[in-house]
Amino acid sequence: MTLAPTAVGSPTLTVDAVTVSFAGVRALDCVSFAIAPMAIHALIGPNGAGKSTLFNVVSGAYRPERGAVYFCDTDLTRLRPHEIAGLGVARTFQNIALLAAETVEENLMLGRHHLTRAGFVACGLRLPGARKEERRHRDRAREIAAFLGLGDRLHTAAGELSYGEQKRVEIARALCVEPALLLLDEPVAGMNARETALMAHLIRDIRDALAIPILLVEHDMALVMSIADRVTVLDFGRLIADGAPGHVQRDPAVQHAYLGTDDER
Amino acid sequence: MSDLRTEPPVAQQTAVEHTSRSGDAATGRRHITRARLLVLSAATVVLLAVPLYVDAFWLQLGLFAFAAAVAALGLGLLLGHAGQLSLGHSFFVAVGAYGYTFLAAESRTLGVSHQSGLALPPLVAAVLAVLLAGLAGLLFSPIAARLRGIYLGIASLGLVFAGQHVLFNSEPLTGGFNGRNVPGFSLLGISVDALPGKTLYVLGVPFGREEKLWYLGLAVTAGAYLCYRNMVRGRPGRALRAVRDRELMAGIMGVPVTRYKAYAFLISSMYAGLGGVLLALAFGRIVPETFGIALAIEYLAMVVIGGLGSAAGAVAGAVFVSCLPAVLERYAAVLPGLAPAGSDGVSPAVAAKFAFGAAIVALLLFEPGGAAAAGNRLLRAVRRLASGQRARPARRTNQSQQ
Amino acid sequence: MNQFLQLLVAGVSLGAVYSLLALGFVVVFKATGVVNFAHPALLMIGAYVTARLGMVNDLPFAVALLAGVGVAVVVAVAVQRLLVHPMASRSVIAVSIMTIGVDVVVQTEITRRLGVDILPMGDPWQNRVATVFGLTIPQTRIAALVAGLSLITAFFAWFKFSQWGVAMRAVAEDPETAALMGVRRSRVCALAWLLAGALAAVAGLFITVFPAPGLEPLTATVALRAFPAAIIGGLDSTGGAVVGGLVVGVAEVLAQGYADALSFLGLGFHTVLPYAVMVVVLLVRPTGLFGTRELHRV
Repeated sequence: MTLAPTAVGSPTLTVDAVTVSFAGVRALDCVSFAIAPMAIHALIGPNGAGKSTLFNVVSGAYRPERGAVYFCDTDLTRLRPHEIAGLGVARTFQNIALLAAETVEENLMLGRHHLTRAGFVACGLRLPGARKEERRHRDRAREIAAFLGLGDRLHTAAGELSYGEQKRVEIARALCVEPALLLLDEPVAGMNARETALMAHLIRDIRDALAIPILLVEHDMALVMSIADRVTVLDFGRLIADGAPGHVQRDPAVQHAYLGTDDER
Repeated sequence: MSDLRTEPPVAQQTAVEHTSRSGDAATGRRHITRARLLVLSAATVVLLAVPLYVDAFWLQLGLFAFAAAVAALGLGLLLGHAGQLSLGHSFFVAVGAYGYTFLAAESRTLGVSHQSGLALPPLVAAVLAVLLAGLAGLLFSPIAARLRGIYLGIASLGLVFAGQHVLFNSEPLTGGFNGRNVPGFSLLGISVDALPGKTLYVLGVPFGREEKLWYLGLAVTAGAYLCYRNMVRGRPGRALRAVRDRELMAGIMGVPVTRYKAYAFLISSMYAGLGGVLLALAFGRIVPETFGIALAIEYLAMVVIGGLGSAAGAVAGAVFVSCLPAVLERYAAVLPGLAPAGSDGVSPAVAAKFAFGAAIVALLLFEPGGAAAAGNRLLRAVRRLASGQRARPARRTNQSQQ
Repeated sequence: MNQFLQLLVAGVSLGAVYSLLALGFVVVFKATGVVNFAHPALLMIGAYVTARLGMVNDLPFAVALLAGVGVAVVVAVAVQRLLVHPMASRSVIAVSIMTIGVDVVVQTEITRRLGVDILPMGDPWQNRVATVFGLTIPQTRIAALVAGLSLITAFFAWFKFSQWGVAMRAVAEDPETAALMGVRRSRVCALAWLLAGALAAVAGLFITVFPAPGLEPLTATVALRAFPAAIIGGLDSTGGAVVGGLVVGVAEVLAQGYADALSFLGLGFHTVLPYAVMVVVLLVRPTGLFGTRELHRV
């Protein structure tokens, strides 16, 4: 099933028949779905279903052997990762990919890289343009940090933060990219019920404030059912369901894949 | 894009703090305390006054130290911040040294040997030599990008061997085994070399070649040092360290990885080339023998001993490694255990090599951050002692790099 | 044609020596992940002791050689126990740079003792040549070939079949599982360094005998060819080390033999050729001919 990219202007992601194999094993098998503008779209499935692989394809870490991913009328699979970031695709990482030895603020400023231009010469000579640019973007990074409640952790080394704080820094960094599409990789992994509820609020707040689509990979069914507008289910690399949360929950194929929809946690 | 000026989500952190307070490096700039300013001014005065008081031996040594410091800064950027294990630094230094010599010298024929040169003005030659070294770095970077870790290290060793081979075999450029004189430097009409009957006098002190070169070296090194600090603290340094530590993540966050690796080689090779120009001026006569593996290892020793990535450390390490042999030699008579060169005992040059080989081992075993880390610890201890009376909460500033 | 065959045989025999050298280097890398920059120093120590004892009257060459190997082994194991083992929790790059320091110290001492002397090795073959199938080959090169082949074969047989060999392969492949299976990692590492010392010392002998003038400071530069040989083969491949050594040996001897025809490449090109070959190989296979490719996990 192939889908054509939709109209120009509305930020939306179209995954088109993406196939990825690793050493003979099909990690993704002809997966196609689309994310509507401003939708919170969840990608779920048992372990090994290919969810992270799909994330990596979208952000440019892997190139699929077949298929394409369209965003803003551009095929992301033909771009280098930094060019994809330049289009406004930002992501968080399941296993926290922060620079532990650097401060939170420096980690956030990395997200601003594609929006800034000061090079070696401009920075080396401390040209006024470079200094102004740095100041402006630092202010913005601090603003975003404050929004996520990290205001007083800005000068702490990222490695010294608690797990929950690190996850928030990951999100803050992704927001620093000024995303037109946000990819969240297991945002509530390892969190308790209260933290999960707060994260749910946060995700909705981000979507409302920025008016962008959010694609999230999750295992936590409660979170998915409560905030997702649409759910796509993968199993063994194949798409087995795609629709509204309630509909997907009742789908027998999905129930079979999970052997029950109850969350063990 | 709408701005996120909404209320912080419920029950997250306490009051949002805008860290515009001075002292906590709000803008990433170090807070200049009175003490620091004092130390800096004193150091500047001392460095500027040195040629008025010390003899040519120390000035000459100082010039070698300046040359080494600039080159070491380049390696510090490449190894410490970009994380590229390149052991071929002496190759790029050679490009700078021979580039300057070739561009600034006049062609001449001595008997059967012919040495060519373009006779450009020294300043132009120096700038072009630096750019040439940068170009060499840029040309090497695609090879470097394909290789990882130790494979890159040993490939760059090959670069040194190949470079030396070319130097030994191109007599018109290098004068072959016997070497070649380095043209003197002149700036704004003031020539560095002493001209008969036109000795420059400053405050009653005759300014010869060594004195003038000292100021040149000092200015160049100071500029290189400040430039380095600004680069590593800003956007480029951030990008390089991200590429070093988490290459895939850096790319996904928007850093063009291959391009930054190329930049790292470009900038570090330019630093090496500049160090090469200073080195050529310090020697006065250069031979291909100099620019081999031993020199490459010396540069590595400098940055390791000084502390990887630290600007002050690179300079300190450079001074230590480049000056130790000559200092030991000068005081060989009074230092126990040292014998003159050629006899059976431990000569100063040998002792110096023992010293820095042992220093590498000891530092890596006990203080991997090098002299910079040790120095930082000392400074913090001093500060704590000094502010021991005032009850201040422990700082959480993290200095990831200087 | 005759010249080519002669050169080829000489090249293969030199290559066998380089293979021994590269093998010792690769064994340490495989077992510990450390790039032992002090490997040339181990070679120099072994050769120096052999040469010095060989000059003592009435001492049989075999004893001198054994002593050389013994001292190299002792130094190698000492370095592993005293310097490498305490750094077990640190990054392998840090340990590798540390071995550079060891190399500097050891080489400086040996160079100091050598001064401007060139020490003969006291070997029984001297500069005698043998004629085999119409080709004149120095006896030293025949000895090198025999020694090299037998040691390499012995090594691979041991590596594949003996208990310690299997243990070493296990540690190289998966240290954690090996530890869980009862393999003492530090013992295996010490063994790897022991082998490196022994192989380096033997290689040191054959690098310094005829047609080389003897042991001199320049020998260390020859010993450095272990690196391109190991890289060409792939740093973590013992078979690759043998292949790399042969490639380097053959290339060097051929370049030296045809130096007249290659004079446009400059004097002494044969010393640079191993590195040129290495760069070409790396451009095509960034981890050497038989090295494992790195996989990146996001």
